[in-house]
Amino acid sequence: MTPAPEHDSYFIERGPEPGGTGAVGRAFGETLRGLKTTFGRLVEGPTTVQYPEEKIPVYPRFRGRHRLHRFEDTGLEKCVGCSLCAAACPADCIRVVAAENTPDHRVSGGERYAAVYEINMSRCIFCGYCELACPFDAITMGNDFELADYTRSDLIFTKEMLLAEPLERTPLRAEGE
Amino acid sequence: MPRPQRSPITFTIDGRDVVAPEGTMLADAAKVGDVEIPVFCYEPKLGAPVGACRMCLVEVEGIPKLQTACSTPVKDGMVVNTTAPKVKAAQESVLEFLLVNHPLDCPVCDKGGECPLQDISYGWGRGLSRVAEPKRHFTKPLELSPLIAIDRERCILCYRCVRFSQEVAEDHQLVFLERGADTYVGTFDSHPYVAPFSGNIIELCPVGALTSRPYRFRARPWDIEGGGTVCTLCPGQCNVTHTVRDERVLRTLSRENDAVDDGWLCDKGRFSYQAATAPERLQQPLVRDADGNLQPASWDDALDRAASILRASGERTAAIAGGRTLNEEGYLLQRLLRDQLSSPHLESRIAPGPSRELLAALHAPALQATVPDLEFAHHVLLLDIEPQEAAPILELRLRKGARRLGTKLSVAGPRPSALDPRAQHVLRYAPGGNEGFLKALAAALEGGDVSGPAAAAGIDAAAVSGLADTLKAAGEDRVILYSDALLSGPGADESARALLRIAAALSLSGEDGAGSGGAGLLGIPATTNGRGLREAGVLPDAGPGLRAVAHPGRDLPGIAEGLAGSELDALIALGVDPIADLQGRAAWRQALGASHLIAVSSFLTEGVAGYAAVVFPQEAPAEQEGTLTHPDGRVQRARPAVRRPDGIRSGWWVLAQLAARLGDRTTLHTAGMAFAELTAEVPFLAGLTLDEIGGKGVRWPTLAEAATWPKGTTDLEPQTDATVVPPANGALRLARQSSPWRIPEVAASKALRFLVPSADARLAPADAERLGITEGSPVALSVDGTEISATARLDSRIPAGTVVAQAGVPGGGADELGGAAAGGIGLVEVRSA
Repeated sequence: MTPAPEHDSYFIERGPEPGGTGAVGRAFGETLRGLKTTFGRLVEGPTTVQYPEEKIPVYPRFRGRHRLHRFEDTGLEKCVGCSLCAAACPADCIRVVAAENTPDHRVSGGERYAAVYEINMSRCIFCGYCELACPFDAITMGNDFELADYTRSDLIFTKEMLLAEPLERTPLRAEGE
Repeated sequence: MPRPQRSPITFTIDGRDVVAPEGTMLADAAKVGDVEIPVFCYEPKLGAPVGACRMCLVEVEGIPKLQTACSTPVKDGMVVNTTAPKVKAAQESVLEFLLVNHPLDCPVCDKGGECPLQDISYGWGRGLSRVAEPKRHFTKPLELSPLIAIDRERCILCYRCVRFSQEVAEDHQLVFLERGADTYVGTFDSHPYVAPFSGNIIELCPVGALTSRPYRFRARPWDIEGGGTVCTLCPGQCNVTHTVRDERVLRTLSRENDAVDDGWLCDKGRFSYQAATAPERLQQPLVRDADGNLQPASWDDALDRAASILRASGERTAAIAGGRTLNEEGYLLQRLLRDQLSSPHLESRIAPGPSRELLAALHAPALQATVPDLEFAHHVLLLDIEPQEAAPILELRLRKGARRLGTKLSVAGPRPSALDPRAQHVLRYAPGGNEGFLKALAAALEGGDVSGPAAAAGIDAAAVSGLADTLKAAGEDRVILYSDALLSGPGADESARALLRIAAALSLSGEDGAGSGGAGLLGIPATTNGRGLREAGVLPDAGPGLRAVAHPGRDLPGIAEGLAGSELDALIALGVDPIADLQGRAAWRQALGASHLIAVSSFLTEGVAGYAAVVFPQEAPAEQEGTLTHPDGRVQRARPAVRRPDGIRSGWWVLAQLAARLGDRTTLHTAGMAFAELTAEVPFLAGLTLDEIGGKGVRWPTLAEAATWPKGTTDLEPQTDATVVPPANGALRLARQSSPWRIPEVAASKALRFLVPSADARLAPADAERLGITEGSPVALSVDGTEISATARLDSRIPAGTVVAQAGVPGGGADELGGAAAGGIGLVEVRSA
């Protein structure tokens, strides 16, 4: 029985002394214990996902590439170019230049629209603050994470790219999955 | 008038004892104690508070009801509470009421992010509204003027814009229409609100009801940065902040400097930033090729070409500086001419003016009035100056003094002025009668013969004596505000002597001549930095610091004559177009046609496009770096707010490069080095550094070095009789009106283009009837065979026998009328066309 330690003394449990007759058996036993894990995984089969042929579905709240939206009924852009997303962005990767809607050239629902709307994906940290800041639900985070490209300038996404229906490249995890 | 002295008092705010000047309003005094009281309608610049918005309610001990902090002056021992539940409830209720009708369109509103209503709702509001009823609706947005958009749904009826129009600019155009919830800001019959200072209401509006149309939706407050500098478009030299986004100026706001602009701006300064990005602005050097066409050239080629022209012309070179030329550029220009080319022919005025000794006497530090002196004076006499044209911002200062402090004004000149209704005496003498009028006034003050010179000026002697009596009886702080035009032309020296005699008779430099607190002379030059260029030595008879030179050069007519003949070969025009900006167009066309012109210009104006051998593009006002001197002696810094376009270089660099190509061994790398050389040469600026000048400027007449200002002439006796203005004899005397909108920057700004003056000829109804001319009919004005066409405008304020023609209009206008009329005295034939 381990004696209760005094308040100023500690009880140290030591392993068996090295060497001696039990040493060979101990070494062989420990090796076998390790091999049990190895062979166990061997039987389970591979867990590697064959990306990009195979993809892991992302969760619905996964924050991937942004999307800009239009009103379904009128087709007008929801974005009014208020630049609040740019103000909220901690990475300073959004640039908005607004312009005024005219009766014969109406782009958005409000008085103004975004003439230029650019997101620099190479700077974006996908924090989702732009989505939170947007007063018109015009920008949301999509689920696409495959954004690699060959040049940095190609990573500046324009309004047309963000408004376009994205290619269905990333499977979405179903509710409760 | 002595400046108001306020003794400090102690009052208690939120349990803290605070010392503040007596009589300041509680809303201001609270700031001393670090307490912020929210306000919408209160703006000290607008004058007496009105208490319209009720946002500033506070509890004052001993008064049962809440008081408006903006209109309650602090008193000794006052106990104020801004955090009581009663105050909090009042603030929340006021905000809730304001938001009953205010639309929640902050994301699309240009004010969003810099909006007092947003800030105050956030800081003092309850966060929730109990009002579910529909809001008030107006058509929006509407054009209040081509420059201003009005959104009446957003208006909280704070009165600021209306008070500005009624009490500051006094154009009386904006009013409240309808009553109760239907009240809205508008103009009579929905006329556009076009006035010289209209843009200020955009900055005053505490919500997004009044927004700038050129700035509409261009940027949001977090997209921009501010660049503080000085507006270089007129001698008023208002302090401004340019709003910059992506290396482009998108807006100009005032940067309050009480000693210069009082926090206001004119529309020219506020909107002409657009000229910098206009397609017609020159973006690279141009060199005239063998076929006589201006072709783009590299900087090296252009500089080489200019240097070879100057090398060939040598001492037969002349130079004129004007427009936006800075002190450093003026100094380097005179050094280039005097040292490298050994030529003394320099000028920075647009017409010949008084000699060096007289200029030294006129601008003597003891005799110098300041801009705030205009406000606090007992009496201000305006001599041949229309502030709206010369330096618009001074008009607001004069109106402020006259309205709030009872400063008396008198106006004398050949043309009607916008300040006439405010003036105690309005004297109208014949065009060209400056010398006679000044001599008559001097005689009236000294007790000499008034009738002789008065008759020469075509004015009633009794009127002059009446003005003299008023001036003598006015308090000791008397200021004379005059323009360059008063002291120009052939009689300039005589006029200057008479003006100095007037100043002496009124003892404007104090009893002992050492300067008096609030009296003096304030001369407004015709170009932005006219005073600085004179002091930098761009004068035919004076070097840097207005020191005497051994060999005086030619005056302007002399330069024109020399260029047309064979005495002069080349002309450097720095920021000035001899044909568009100087008098006597025909003479200058002839002069430029016979010589080589090297121009530094932003736009291809007539002289530059037609005659220049080499054109160097000039920086825009927001790109300039250097110093300039205000007419009252304040040295101010122009600091670049945006980068120069790639093809454009600084003026000082161009001059330094030309000097280097002509053998100058000194090297200049920055504008600051040029300023250091200037201060080393000019004794009264000695030791002044850019850091000392800082953002608000330094008045050198107040420095100890001002004692080194050269002594002016003391011999003020008239040497000739006043030039007699010829009798009209059926013809009319020509006076020029130079619109503030005549500069090329206005024509190049999309927003301001509608203000470019048209060729008007204003004449008295009596003359019009005699000549069979009706309002709006086309007329022809001719002098010595030169004829211009104009539109007749009948104006009862113009004395019979005078026609006032608009100068600086497309196609020339009054500037085309040469001959004797060029000097200011001329008779013009007017007939119906």
